[in-house]
Amino acid sequence: MATEGQQHPIKIYFLIWLLLFVLSFFSYLVDFYHLEGNLRWFLIVVFMLLKAGFIVAIFMHMKWERFALIFGILTPPLALVVLMFLMAIESDYAWSTRVVYMGEDPAPKPESPSHYKKSEEEKGH
Amino acid sequence: MTDTTLSTQESIFTSTARDWSSDMTTFKGVPWGKAMMWIFLLSDTFIFTCFLVGYMVMRMTVTEAWPVASEVFALTVWGVSVPLLLIAIMTFILITSSGTMAMAVNMGYQRRKWAVFWLMLATALLGASFVGMQCYEWSKLIIDEGIRPWGYAPDHDLGAPQFGSIFFMVTGFHGLHVSVGVIYLITVAIRVVRGKYDHTNFEIVEITGLYWHFVDLVWVFIFAFFYLW
Amino acid sequence: MATVEVPYQETVPLHHPKTWIGKYIFSQDHKIIAVQYGITAMAVGLVALILSEFMRLQIAFPEAGFMAFFTADHYYQAITMHGMIMVIYLLTAFLLGAFGNFCVPLMCGARDMVFPFVNMLSYWVYLLSVIILMISYFVPGGPTGAGWTLYPPQTITQGTPGVDWGIATMLISLAVFIVAFTMGGLNYITTILQARTRGLTLMRMPLTVWGIFIATFLGLIAFPALFVSAVMMLLDKFLKTSFFMPAIVSLGSKLEYSGGQPLLFQHLFWFFGHPEVYIVALPAFGVISDLISVHARKNIFGYRMMVWAIVAIGALSLIVWAHHMYVAGMHPSFGFFFATTTLIIAVPTALKVYNWILTLWRANIRITVPMLFALAFVLTFIVGGITGLFLGNVIIDIPLSDTYFVVAHFHMVMGVSPILAIFGGIYHWYPKLTGRMLNDTIGRIHFYFTFIGTYAIYFPMHYLGFIGVPRRYYETGISEFYPVAAHNLNKFITIAALIVGVSQILFIFNLVHSYFKGKKAPANPWGANSLEWCTPETPPRHGNWEDRLPTVHRWAYDFGVPGEEKDHIPQTVPRRKAS
Repeated sequence: MATEGQQHPIKIYFLIWLLLFVLSFFSYLVDFYHLEGNLRWFLIVVFMLLKAGFIVAIFMHMKWERFALIFGILTPPLALVVLMFLMAIESDYAWSTRVVYMGEDPAPKPESPSHYKKSEEEKGH
Repeated sequence: MTDTTLSTQESIFTSTARDWSSDMTTFKGVPWGKAMMWIFLLSDTFIFTCFLVGYMVMRMTVTEAWPVASEVFALTVWGVSVPLLLIAIMTFILITSSGTMAMAVNMGYQRRKWAVFWLMLATALLGASFVGMQCYEWSKLIIDEGIRPWGYAPDHDLGAPQFGSIFFMVTGFHGLHVSVGVIYLITVAIRVVRGKYDHTNFEIVEITGLYWHFVDLVWVFIFAFFYLW
Repeated sequence: MATVEVPYQETVPLHHPKTWIGKYIFSQDHKIIAVQYGITAMAVGLVALILSEFMRLQIAFPEAGFMAFFTADHYYQAITMHGMIMVIYLLTAFLLGAFGNFCVPLMCGARDMVFPFVNMLSYWVYLLSVIILMISYFVPGGPTGAGWTLYPPQTITQGTPGVDWGIATMLISLAVFIVAFTMGGLNYITTILQARTRGLTLMRMPLTVWGIFIATFLGLIAFPALFVSAVMMLLDKFLKTSFFMPAIVSLGSKLEYSGGQPLLFQHLFWFFGHPEVYIVALPAFGVISDLISVHARKNIFGYRMMVWAIVAIGALSLIVWAHHMYVAGMHPSFGFFFATTTLIIAVPTALKVYNWILTLWRANIRITVPMLFALAFVLTFIVGGITGLFLGNVIIDIPLSDTYFVVAHFHMVMGVSPILAIFGGIYHWYPKLTGRMLNDTIGRIHFYFTFIGTYAIYFPMHYLGFIGVPRRYYETGISEFYPVAAHNLNKFITIAALIVGVSQILFIFNLVHSYFKGKKAPANPWGANSLEWCTPETPPRHGNWEDRLPTVHRWAYDFGVPGEEKDHIPQTVPRRKAS
């Protein structure tokens, strides 16, 4: 309420603190175990969004704010989602025009951990 | 003259409609500074997202190969190349600093000024060490790996020249935020023990905390997109 | 737990400065800051006006001896500076900096902005950005001549004027302006949301405040895109990064750039640039709504619809940006998406126009000077808006792109219209700000010169556009493509532009003269209802109100209420108990 501010049991901060470490560790493992392709990206994004959500909801106390504030802060970034999607489509198109019109033989579209494949082939798998 | 009963019984839609259609304040019980900080962070979100969208466009449009992050950012410890070790430590430090900050906010509302001071100072120190490690990371990239903002040093060619540009720009901008945050934290911590905020409810600590957590939040995205992707 | 909320500003004492410098130079009073913003914006706007006169003279009389000093480089620099100054340093700064600062606390019944110190800082940083911009006329090579859109790669490639220094001062100045705007904008938003007085709900706010509110919010989330593109371009220029710069062969040698994406800049720029149009237009809409209602002595037609139209325009303006880029070579199917959203945004805009006209219908219109400007605004806005529908369609835009039709369109809709709103607003609020009335006769002469003059300038440009005369050309000879008639029309436009330009002296004279010699203004000369006319003193003192902030009982549009004695009821008058 107006004069009390955000006061919550300390336990929950420790819990979230721990959770953030665990999630960071998981996303580190994703890289460590050389997961590839969609699974890799899916896991990275999920861990990222979970971490972001915990920080905003608990550390920044948004969970306990009134919905009027939550609504006011969380709706405008929708515009960014539109920007992101359209720019993804646009970049894909730009890349394809470069490939088609520039007459060069472009490198294959870089997949993230391409070197792993190479190194595993070298090992003789 | 409105009777503002902050009841939690009504549905969030009713309460939101009531808050937005009430007089005097829209965000009930939110101090001015906190409202302002939230809106500023919203604006800052747009800055960082535009940077990240720029990164996405660069990465999707270049026809040259993109360097592999976990190789570039690997750290050799006792002859073993451990991928992303430094980044893992930096992430650890930043999350820890977020934790101490959250504790400082909690202590603030209990009016324990010295606890607030030491916790905020610890946060600031962790932040400063983060910036220090970032400097180390940068110098390592520039000197050892030959990565330059405009591309690569001779015979270090890793592919697309945008890799270094966008990396230095975004992490630099984030590092700038951390540095500003450190100064902000120290200033507020000193003012707290000096009793500048005794007449208030120490919401300044929470406002500072909002900024600091936001910096941590941005790091979450940078970590995922620049180091893991 | 039930608590009775008290406006926070009643509980904290206001810091009153003692010295003259504290009162009038480094003042934290929102009214003084508004005047500072206004004077700076007008001064820099005069520079832009003079630049435009030079451009017009060059277009109309390219052979004339008196234009010999004006080279092509000068022309492009003038175009760039004119555009940038007008859009950002004059219109944005005036509508939000001056009107925003003056109207928001007064109309919300607040003592001042929530953080007066930050507000003061906002002005000084704005002044700094203007100074940096003006410095570009004194650096080697002069200001940048890339056009106000600053499209790469041409902006930072040799051959463009000001490629060495001018572009740096321009981009730094923009970044500094964004800092200033953010400081001011956060203040306006927080004041509107958190520092209203008793009884003032959002739906009782005058539309001016609504316009400023949404426009500021748009600014806070749109300027970041410009900030980002400015930073990236600075890096491209000085660190030779390749964000926006593809591999280029320039003057026979390959530049050290490779693989950049120029379209990214255009997207980021217009992600800022289109909301910017509404950052300028929305406050103007608000001001005009209030002027029309007050001077037509009738409540605004469809108040709620007007509010929601402002909100809808604000939301939609964030997803229409690429209609500026139909011919840029973006993804082919984007045209469909952006043409659709563009046409959708025309709906709430048209609603507003209908509502203004319906407010005027059978109203008791008083043709005062502010009302003249308001009526002129509606007319100009209709013309500019309808040509916008032409350009919003991909098929019609492609032949009209980069012609004078576009120039006519955006000057009508976001050049002349907001300027008319600014004039109207100044004539309306000057009595409250200074305690003196502006001279009515000079005001009317100024109005007719400005209104008819701007029509004479921009209306013929549509025809020039139809016959395909391209914009931004320094000089065009007579050819089959470019007939003599076009030259004659250009001469006509230039003469009209000169007359309009010179007639602004009347306005400045009026402002200065009336400040010293004008008639004393009564507290509420127009019989308006909103809170700024209810201040205990005219001009309002620092802190605006008595010890207790005013209490609002009704909306700001109670004009000619049936059964009431007076023709207007201020917001502070309690409602009568139902008998």
